[in-house]
Amino acid sequence: MPGPGKKGSRARRGAAGGRAEARPRKRAASKAAMRARIVRAALELFEAQGFQETTTKAIARRAGVAEGTIFNYFATKEDIALHFFELEVDHAIATVRSSARLRRAPLEEKLFALVQSQIEYLTPYERFIGAAFVQALRPSSAFVLSQRSWDLRARYLDFVQGLIAESIPGAERSLVTWLAPQAFWVFYIALLLYWLNDTSPGKQSTLAFLDRSLRLGVHLLEQESRGRSRRAAPRRRVRKPRRAR
Amino acid sequence: MVRKPAGPARRAMHMARLGAGVTGSYLGWLAQQAFLGEEERERRLKRTHVRTARRISQELMALRGPAMKLGQTLSLQGDLLPEEMLAELSSLQMRAPGMHGSLVRAQVKASLGQEPDQLFAEFSEQPFAAASLGQVHRARTHDGEDVAVKIQYPGIRQAIDSDFAWFRALSRPAQLTRHFPRNLIDELQEQITAELDYGREADNVILLGNELAFLPFLEIPRVVPEYCGERVLTMTYLEGVHLDELLRTRPSRAQRDQLGEHLFEILYAQVLQVGAFHADPHWGNYLFRTDGSIGLVDFGCVKYLPQDFVDNLHRIFLYEGRRDGPEFRRLLEERYAPRARLTPAARQALVDFSRNFYGRVYPPEPALDERPFDFSDPQFMKDYMRGTLRITRARGALPEYVLFSRAETGLYQTLHRLGSRVRTSRIVRKYLR
Repeated sequence: MPGPGKKGSRARRGAAGGRAEARPRKRAASKAAMRARIVRAALELFEAQGFQETTTKAIARRAGVAEGTIFNYFATKEDIALHFFELEVDHAIATVRSSARLRRAPLEEKLFALVQSQIEYLTPYERFIGAAFVQALRPSSAFVLSQRSWDLRARYLDFVQGLIAESIPGAERSLVTWLAPQAFWVFYIALLLYWLNDTSPGKQSTLAFLDRSLRLGVHLLEQESRGRSRRAAPRRRVRKPRRAR
Repeated sequence: MVRKPAGPARRAMHMARLGAGVTGSYLGWLAQQAFLGEEERERRLKRTHVRTARRISQELMALRGPAMKLGQTLSLQGDLLPEEMLAELSSLQMRAPGMHGSLVRAQVKASLGQEPDQLFAEFSEQPFAAASLGQVHRARTHDGEDVAVKIQYPGIRQAIDSDFAWFRALSRPAQLTRHFPRNLIDELQEQITAELDYGREADNVILLGNELAFLPFLEIPRVVPEYCGERVLTMTYLEGVHLDELLRTRPSRAQRDQLGEHLFEILYAQVLQVGAFHADPHWGNYLFRTDGSIGLVDFGCVKYLPQDFVDNLHRIFLYEGRRDGPEFRRLLEERYAPRARLTPAARQALVDFSRNFYGRVYPPEPALDERPFDFSDPQFMKDYMRGTLRITRARGALPEYVLFSRAETGLYQTLHRLGSRVRTSRIVRKYLR
């Protein structure tokens, strides 16, 4: 990323514009800024008036751009929504990766921080997320069936798998821990549903549910992995006394 | 190694196992007592208590939050539980599993809108005290003030309700044998729920801080409202060591007597003068300093006494007339049975207790005011517990009385452990009208 530098104050166009010396980089930055602008406008509309009711024309008006400009960036409004979920996952992964404190934290805390940062990211758009759920359940849904949404999910679960592997030794060789990310996905969806329907003040029940269920889940994983090493251990222990004789 | 805290399913299992354990122990005792002689029965009951208590403390340790709190509270309910149970339960006093850093951050942000690192100049990642319904972190404000930040576990209210539902259902046999009066459970639930209200706690700190400012040897923290929210309470940090640590330094006779008198005066100034008192005599809540002063923390449980209860205490304390006479009996009935008549057994228990315990620990004659009572006497604690247990069994407990006796028990236990000699009547007389 380009540093702020001395020339930083010269240009004020766009959120990321003007700081880079190289032209192509500058163009990429202003493209990203435009993309972000469209996504923000779209999300505000999705939240305020619903996903179905929002047209690309309205999004263009809200973002202050021509409708044609939007199509330079996104083919459909589903694409915009997907892009938002990509940003959300990027943000969550970056949150966990960038924290020096979390590097030494136990697995349940890393997973907690991951999901918690996702929820924080989604909070301003709670209504839309609820609607997106319904949308995603439709058989023809672009949210579920598109290659991009599969890729996104795979990237997210890869990251989860990585967190598990760095905390539980030998995890990659176990069938259970290999399945753990899939289970985590189901858990994550369930948690989002729980969060959407949580009426407790400050959504306290979601935090409690997240904390307790992760502790339980990680505990089970650890037991499974300990069980594996114990099952492997006795063979060695039996052999030893024989050698002594 | 810290045991894994429980998820919802394991939590339920722990509660069920605990209930089954307690129930089993008492059922066993009930079944046996039909066939046993008096002496053997006493001996077996003692064993039952120990077994039950061990089971309770083991199971409660694995849970967090309310059940933990319940265990701690029971451990201080000395007058209502047998001594053997107390020994086991008191092992719960200072231990509690905790929230990890990310959950702490989420809780602070949810309550105050910003993460601790943004709010404070310094914020310590590790809690320095585990409150049973939350935990306490040290921090320094941008103005350079040292503060203690108390943070509540999420979702604790629902957990309390479900824990108590379990507990109520599963402790029924213990209720039958009167080891566990039913209204005690109600009172405990009400009080533990009230402790979740940090706004109320802040009010308690402010009130007692103002009303007790005249005691030069007592320090009460100041609330820092900029950092308070629904589930976060920030107060100035108080220095001092806990009782165990103090005892390890082998304080001198004079120090122990002085601290004892201060502790004693702190309670009676609250009860007799303020009419409200800090009713959580958990050892972690008293901070002792080398200069003989005492810091008092954690005001989640403050009991506001009705005026007539206080008036009655003023008349009943250091009563100089005959304690088996009609006037004293009227005072006792006013205090212990405001809406009903006392049964002869209950009345007898109260008169005996008042004469044999209070009359001895708090001699009413002014001539004896300078003679201290020695709380290291091992017999007095037993007398106290036996007497109050007899009263509770005879008539059940009034809500005010439950909390007052909890504070009183906590005070006596601390004075006993300190081995203090206290001029009890002299101090009480200062506050009598």
